[in-house]
Amino acid sequence: MEYILHILILAGIYTVLAVSLNLLAGHAGLLSIAHAAFYGLGAYTSALLAAYLGVPFLVGVLVGMAVAALVSFAISLPSLRLHDDYFVIATFGFQMILFSIFNNWIDLTRGPLGIPGIPQPMIFGWTIRSHVDFVVLAFIFATFAYIIMGRISSSPFGRILRAIREDEVFAQSLGKNTLWFKVTAFAVSAALAASAGSLYAHYITYIDPTSFTVMESILVISMVIIGGAGSRWGPLIGAVVLVTLPEALRFIGLPSSVAANLRQIIYGILLVVMMMVRPRGLVGKYGFGR
Amino acid sequence: MNQVLVNALVSASGYLLVGVGFSLIYTSARFFHIAHGIVLTVGAYSTFALGVWAGLPLSVSIAGGILASTILGIGLEWSIYRPLQGRQASPATLLLASLGIYVALQALVSLIFGSGTQTFRPSEVPEGLLLVGSRLTVPQLAIIVVSPICCLSTWLFLQRAQIGKMIRAVANDHDLAEAYGFSRDRVIMVAFFFGSTLAGVAAILLAYDTDMTPMMGFRALLMGMIAVIIGGIGNIPGAALGAVLLGLAQHLSGWWISSKWQDAIAFLILILFLLLRPQGFLGGPLRRATV
Repeated sequence: MEYILHILILAGIYTVLAVSLNLLAGHAGLLSIAHAAFYGLGAYTSALLAAYLGVPFLVGVLVGMAVAALVSFAISLPSLRLHDDYFVIATFGFQMILFSIFNNWIDLTRGPLGIPGIPQPMIFGWTIRSHVDFVVLAFIFATFAYIIMGRISSSPFGRILRAIREDEVFAQSLGKNTLWFKVTAFAVSAALAASAGSLYAHYITYIDPTSFTVMESILVISMVIIGGAGSRWGPLIGAVVLVTLPEALRFIGLPSSVAANLRQIIYGILLVVMMMVRPRGLVGKYGFGR
Repeated sequence: MNQVLVNALVSASGYLLVGVGFSLIYTSARFFHIAHGIVLTVGAYSTFALGVWAGLPLSVSIAGGILASTILGIGLEWSIYRPLQGRQASPATLLLASLGIYVALQALVSLIFGSGTQTFRPSEVPEGLLLVGSRLTVPQLAIIVVSPICCLSTWLFLQRAQIGKMIRAVANDHDLAEAYGFSRDRVIMVAFFFGSTLAGVAAILLAYDTDMTPMMGFRALLMGMIAVIIGGIGNIPGAALGAVLLGLAQHLSGWWISSKWQDAIAFLILILFLLLRPQGFLGGPLRRATV
């Protein structure tokens, strides 16, 4: 039972990640490989604040989101001067640099040793202890991400992002400052990813840099693309499928080291198959770059 | 100090060999073939499987390892990239498919061989030779010698051979090249053939020097990719310059600051180049897609 709840919590965390990346990759057509870096920024910020300074959970989440949004400017402004695959490679570079900071800034992050003893969250007197509590919290976070994304995608802001995706020069010709729209989308997406990071840190109560590698970024991209980039429910479906499918393998009795590799094999193959057979994803309308 | 320079040269030679293969494929097929990294890893592990598991002589297993890389590279082009390109898939789609291949195959390698370090060296490498006042092991010497030879031959091949000229023609303007009757598919296949073979050679050399892990191809590819981007992608002399610059920057910073920031510095250099001089030292002007 605990185990099924654990999977539900992970599905919630990855839903937040996939939904937030969908704003960039799906709506704005910007394929960023730096998402795990923002996830890590949120996790590290709130973990450090809670474990060393005893800052309350919600404050830590908000500070983490603010830090990720600020760092996103340093990443998006240079990267957005590049286009297409060069943009992807630049975000790749920033992902590697931030990972290197998590791993090597020993004084702050303790490097590969990680940060243990992250306290369990307390919100207005409600201490989140059991798995059931965490399922509720993850559900709240995912709903929050969905509400924000729903608002954005039906707003003029979301429409302009999609216009940029389809034809950036055309959007500019309407007098839209497209750079500003893309930078803002980046910041919102980064902040939401950071909230998922805080949740993860407080749930596992221990973090180290291996949770925020470029492979994690690729996993989240796969969720968005397999589910359907640019669609409303695609990221949720992608996250749930990619979290539960490998766990099902563990269920039939495979050792966890084998299951971890099988999970990567499955999502790698799914990504390739999707690109070949159905580039718009399971429920999406927008084929990535056709 | 001499030692730092020699180490930088060893790294640079490795980056160059991986980068030139990657760039050969990029110039003809026009997308970032990230799975080039796993083509390299598979070459090293095949050598290990043949040499250590099957007990074949080293020379046979090395040849087998290089062959495995070549076959994997052209197999990927034939089975996955070509159908995608036939449907006019965007470079982003190809890049994503390539990432998927990379992730799946790396996990497969860890599944079969374990995620730890493996080696096919028969014994411990003897103490390094003394050369210009710095130590150099035999594997390192092999890298410094073999890599420039391979890259020089690739360069000559592109400049002189008929099919090499066709690769350059397709790289310049593939529509025009097709109008003249060159098959783009065939040219891309040749590029995958040579590029993957170079990756196989690099795999053996790198594994001979620093052993192998399932992640080895990833780092090798990233560094090779950075070297060719800062040198000007598609330009082999530029790639050599880029590789040397990258090797020097990493080892000098390792010497002055700390070697743990080597990767971060490499990516910082990449981003600076992408912003200030995206065409690299010697590359021609970048062309955006035209309507």
